[in-house]
Amino acid sequence: MVRTYETVFITLPTLTDDEDRGVVDALAAVVSDGGGVFTANDRMGRRRLAYPIKKFEDGVYTRFLFDSEPGVPKELDRRLRISDKVIRHMTVRLEPDWAVAAKEQAVRDAQARADAEAARAAGVLIEATPEAPAARGRDDDDAEFDERD
Amino acid sequence: MGYSRENAGGGSGGRSGGGGRPSGPRAGGRRRFLFRRRKYCKFCEDKAAWIDYKDLRTLQNYIPERAKVLPRRISGTCASHQRQLMQAIKRARNLALIPFTSD
Repeated sequence: MVRTYETVFITLPTLTDDEDRGVVDALAAVVSDGGGVFTANDRMGRRRLAYPIKKFEDGVYTRFLFDSEPGVPKELDRRLRISDKVIRHMTVRLEPDWAVAAKEQAVRDAQARADAEAARAAGVLIEATPEAPAARGRDDDDAEFDERD
Repeated sequence: MGYSRENAGGGSGGRSGGGGRPSGPRAGGRRRFLFRRRKYCKFCEDKAAWIDYKDLRTLQNYIPERAKVLPRRISGTCASHQRQLMQAIKRARNLALIPFTSD
Protein backbone atom coordinates (compact mmCIF):
# COMPACT_ATOMS: atom_id res chain seq x y z
CA MET A 1 0.00 0.00 0.00
CA VAL A 2 1.36 3.36 -1.02
CA ARG A 3 1.60 5.85 1.77
CA THR A 4 2.97 9.31 2.25
CA TYR A 5 6.08 9.78 4.33
CA GLU A 6 8.00 12.79 5.41
CA THR A 7 11.64 12.52 6.32
CA VAL A 8 13.68 15.30 7.83
CA PHE A 9 17.37 14.85 8.44
CA ILE A 10 20.22 17.01 9.57
CA THR A 11 23.61 16.79 7.90
CA LEU A 12 26.95 18.00 9.19
CA PRO A 13 27.49 21.74 9.03
CA THR A 14 31.12 21.17 8.09
CA LEU A 15 30.36 19.68 4.67
CA THR A 16 30.86 21.77 1.59
CA ASP A 17 27.82 22.44 -0.56
CA ASP A 18 28.89 19.83 -3.07
CA GLU A 19 29.47 17.14 -0.46
CA ASP A 20 26.15 17.90 1.12
CA ARG A 21 24.39 17.69 -2.18
CA GLY A 22 26.09 14.37 -2.82
CA VAL A 23 24.77 12.95 0.45
CA VAL A 24 21.27 14.21 -0.23
CA ASP A 25 21.24 12.94 -3.80
CA ALA A 26 22.38 9.50 -2.70
CA LEU A 27 19.50 9.34 -0.23
CA ALA A 28 17.03 10.68 -2.77
CA ALA A 29 18.17 7.91 -5.10
CA VAL A 30 17.23 5.35 -2.43
CA VAL A 31 13.68 6.65 -2.55
CA SER A 32 13.47 6.88 -6.32
CA ASP A 33 14.99 3.44 -6.86
CA GLY A 34 12.52 1.93 -4.44
CA GLY A 35 9.68 3.28 -6.53
CA GLY A 36 8.99 6.31 -4.36
CA VAL A 37 7.59 9.49 -5.89
CA PHE A 38 8.83 12.79 -4.56
CA THR A 39 6.49 15.65 -3.84
CA ALA A 40 9.19 17.73 -2.23
CA ASN A 41 12.93 17.48 -1.83
CA ASP A 42 13.62 20.65 0.07
CA ARG A 43 16.86 21.92 1.36
CA MET A 44 15.51 23.76 4.37
CA GLY A 45 18.92 25.26 4.91
CA ARG A 46 21.37 25.79 7.70
CA ARG A 47 19.90 26.39 11.12
CA ARG A 48 21.17 26.78 14.61
CA LEU A 49 20.29 23.68 16.61
CA ALA A 50 18.23 24.16 19.74
CA TYR A 51 20.79 22.06 21.60
CA PRO A 52 24.15 20.65 20.53
CA ILE A 53 24.15 17.29 18.76
CA LYS A 54 27.49 15.50 18.65
CA LYS A 55 29.10 18.77 19.70
CA PHE A 56 27.72 20.57 16.66
CA GLU A 57 25.78 23.77 17.17
CA ASP A 58 24.55 24.09 13.59
CA GLY A 59 23.02 21.71 11.13
CA VAL A 60 21.81 21.61 7.56
CA TYR A 61 18.18 20.51 7.32
CA THR A 62 16.76 18.61 4.39
CA ARG A 63 13.24 17.40 3.97
CA PHE A 64 11.82 14.68 1.77
CA LEU A 65 8.12 14.31 1.16
CA PHE A 66 7.31 11.23 -0.85
CA ASP A 67 4.78 8.51 -1.60
CA SER A 68 6.00 4.95 -1.49
CA GLU A 69 5.61 1.43 -0.24
CA PRO A 70 6.61 0.92 3.39
CA GLY A 71 9.90 -0.76 2.47
CA VAL A 72 11.36 2.49 1.22
CA PRO A 73 11.39 4.47 4.47
CA LYS A 74 12.78 1.39 6.16
CA GLU A 75 15.73 1.26 3.81
CA LEU A 76 16.10 5.03 3.96
CA ASP A 77 16.19 4.87 7.73
CA ARG A 78 18.87 2.21 7.61
CA ARG A 79 21.03 4.35 5.33
CA LEU A 80 20.49 7.43 7.44
CA ARG A 81 21.55 5.57 10.54
CA ILE A 82 24.70 4.27 8.91
CA SER A 83 25.80 7.54 7.37
CA ASP A 84 28.18 9.48 9.56
CA LYS A 85 27.34 12.68 7.71
CA VAL A 86 23.79 12.65 9.05
CA ILE A 87 23.56 13.68 12.68
CA ARG A 88 19.81 13.36 13.19
CA HIS A 89 16.89 12.06 11.19
CA MET A 90 13.21 11.38 11.56
CA THR A 91 10.59 9.85 9.30
CA VAL A 92 6.90 10.41 9.85
CA ARG A 93 4.05 8.65 8.12
CA LEU A 94 1.38 11.19 7.28
CA GLU A 95 -2.27 10.35 7.75
CA PRO A 96 -4.09 10.47 4.40
CA ASP A 97 -5.89 13.73 5.04
CA TRP A 98 -2.77 15.35 6.40
CA ALA A 99 -0.85 14.13 3.42
CA VAL A 100 -3.13 16.00 1.05
CA ALA A 101 -2.66 19.23 2.97
CA ALA A 102 1.09 18.70 3.24
CA LYS A 103 1.42 18.10 -0.48
CA GLU A 104 -0.60 21.16 -1.36
CA GLN A 105 1.57 23.16 0.99
CA ALA A 106 4.71 21.72 -0.56
CA VAL A 107 3.53 22.66 -4.03
CA ARG A 108 2.72 26.17 -2.81
CA ASP A 109 6.14 26.46 -1.19
CA ALA A 110 7.84 25.32 -4.35
CA GLN A 111 5.87 27.93 -6.27
CA ALA A 112 6.82 30.64 -3.77
CA ARG A 113 10.43 29.60 -4.03
CA ALA A 114 10.33 29.70 -7.80
CA ASP A 115 8.78 33.16 -7.62
CA ALA A 116 11.43 34.33 -5.20
CA GLU A 117 14.08 32.95 -7.51
CA ALA A 118 12.52 34.73 -10.47
CA ALA A 119 12.28 37.91 -8.45
CA ARG A 120 15.93 37.57 -7.56
CA ALA A 121 16.87 37.10 -11.20
CA ALA A 122 14.79 40.13 -12.09
CA GLY A 123 16.35 42.00 -9.19
CA VAL A 124 19.82 41.35 -10.56
CA LEU A 125 18.77 42.81 -13.86
CA ILE A 126 17.25 45.79 -12.15
CA GLU A 127 20.29 46.28 -9.99
CA ALA A 128 22.35 46.61 -13.13
CA THR A 129 20.30 49.68 -13.93
CA PRO A 130 20.30 51.58 -10.63
CA GLU A 131 16.73 51.64 -9.39
CA ALA A 132 16.58 51.60 -5.61
CA PRO A 133 12.93 50.86 -4.74
CA ALA A 134 12.77 47.67 -6.76
CA ALA A 135 15.97 46.40 -5.19
CA ARG A 136 14.66 47.09 -1.72
CA GLY A 137 11.48 45.17 -2.45
CA ARG A 138 13.54 42.18 -3.40
CA ASP A 139 15.50 42.29 -0.14
CA ASP A 140 12.29 42.31 1.89
CA ASP A 141 11.09 39.23 0.09
CA ASP A 142 14.31 37.46 0.94
CA ALA A 143 14.09 38.36 4.59
CA GLU A 144 10.63 36.91 4.86
CA PHE A 145 11.73 33.76 3.15
CA ASP A 146 14.62 33.22 5.52
CA GLU A 147 12.50 33.80 8.54
CA ARG A 148 10.00 31.19 7.53
CA ASP A 149 12.69 28.57 7.13
CA MET B 1 7.85 31.77 36.82
CA GLY B 2 4.35 30.31 37.20
CA TYR B 3 1.57 30.94 34.79
CA SER B 4 -0.62 33.69 36.07
CA ARG B 5 -4.19 33.44 35.00
CA GLU B 6 -4.43 37.14 34.39
CA ASN B 7 -1.75 37.10 31.74
CA ALA B 8 -2.97 34.00 30.05
CA GLY B 9 -6.20 34.94 28.37
CA GLY B 10 -4.55 37.13 25.79
CA GLY B 11 -4.55 40.22 27.95
CA SER B 12 -8.06 41.55 27.93
CA GLY B 13 -7.01 43.85 30.73
CA GLY B 14 -9.88 42.89 33.02
CA ARG B 15 -8.77 43.03 36.59
CA SER B 16 -10.78 40.79 38.88
CA GLY B 17 -12.69 43.20 41.01
CA GLY B 18 -13.46 42.24 44.58
CA GLY B 19 -10.29 42.68 46.57
CA GLY B 20 -10.25 40.43 49.57
CA ARG B 21 -12.98 38.15 48.29
CA PRO B 22 -11.61 34.73 49.15
CA SER B 23 -13.38 32.78 46.42
CA GLY B 24 -11.71 31.76 43.17
CA PRO B 25 -12.66 33.22 39.81
CA ARG B 26 -15.33 30.58 39.29
CA ALA B 27 -17.09 31.07 42.55
CA GLY B 28 -17.23 34.79 41.96
CA GLY B 29 -20.13 34.20 39.61
CA ARG B 30 -20.10 34.63 35.87
CA ARG B 31 -22.58 37.48 35.97
CA ARG B 32 -20.09 39.74 37.68
CA PHE B 33 -18.01 42.08 35.63
CA LEU B 34 -15.03 39.85 35.24
CA PHE B 35 -14.11 40.82 31.74
CA ARG B 36 -11.83 38.04 30.84
CA ARG B 37 -11.95 37.09 27.22
CA ARG B 38 -13.29 33.61 26.77
CA LYS B 39 -10.55 31.18 25.83
CA TYR B 40 -10.98 29.17 22.71
CA CYS B 41 -8.98 26.62 20.81
CA LYS B 42 -6.98 28.44 18.18
CA PHE B 43 -6.46 25.28 16.18
CA CYS B 44 -10.19 24.61 15.91
CA GLU B 45 -10.53 28.16 14.70
CA ASP B 46 -8.15 28.06 11.75
CA LYS B 47 -9.15 24.57 10.59
CA ALA B 48 -5.67 23.48 9.61
CA ALA B 49 -5.62 19.79 8.85
CA TRP B 50 -2.82 19.09 11.29
CA ILE B 51 -0.27 20.73 13.49
CA ASP B 52 3.03 20.79 11.67
CA TYR B 53 6.08 20.06 13.78
CA LYS B 54 8.17 22.24 11.46
CA ASP B 55 5.93 25.26 11.91
CA LEU B 56 7.93 26.98 14.60
CA ARG B 57 5.95 30.16 14.45
CA THR B 58 2.90 28.31 15.74
CA LEU B 59 4.71 26.04 18.17
CA GLN B 60 6.58 28.95 19.71
CA ASN B 61 3.29 30.21 21.12
CA TYR B 62 2.93 27.08 23.19
CA ILE B 63 6.38 26.83 24.70
CA PRO B 64 7.01 29.48 27.33
CA GLU B 65 10.48 30.43 28.48
CA ARG B 66 11.39 27.17 30.20
CA ALA B 67 10.41 25.35 27.02
CA LYS B 68 7.72 23.37 28.74
CA VAL B 69 4.41 22.80 27.04
CA LEU B 70 1.83 25.44 27.82
CA PRO B 71 -0.97 23.71 29.72
CA ARG B 72 -4.43 23.51 28.27
CA ARG B 73 -5.93 25.36 31.18
CA ILE B 74 -3.92 28.41 30.17
CA SER B 75 -4.11 28.29 26.42
CA GLY B 76 -7.66 27.00 26.11
CA THR B 77 -6.65 24.49 23.44
CA CYS B 78 -9.14 21.67 23.08
CA ALA B 79 -8.19 18.17 24.18
CA SER B 80 -7.62 16.62 20.78
CA HIS B 81 -5.57 19.54 19.55
CA GLN B 82 -3.55 19.58 22.73
CA ARG B 83 -2.60 15.96 22.03
CA GLN B 84 -1.63 16.81 18.47
CA LEU B 85 0.32 19.79 19.73
CA MET B 86 2.18 17.59 22.21
CA GLN B 87 3.09 15.23 19.39
CA ALA B 88 4.30 18.08 17.21
CA ILE B 89 6.39 19.58 19.99
CA LYS B 90 8.02 16.25 20.77
CA ARG B 91 8.89 15.75 17.14
CA ALA B 92 10.29 19.24 16.86
CA ARG B 93 12.39 18.63 19.95
CA ASN B 94 13.89 15.51 18.46
CA LEU B 95 14.95 17.49 15.42
CA ALA B 96 16.53 20.18 17.60
CA LEU B 97 14.09 22.76 16.32
CA ILE B 98 12.90 23.40 19.86
CA PRO B 99 14.87 22.89 23.07
CA PHE B 100 13.92 20.22 25.58
CA THR B 101 14.75 22.67 28.32
CA SER B 102 16.21 26.10 28.46
CA ASP B 103 17.45 28.10 31.36
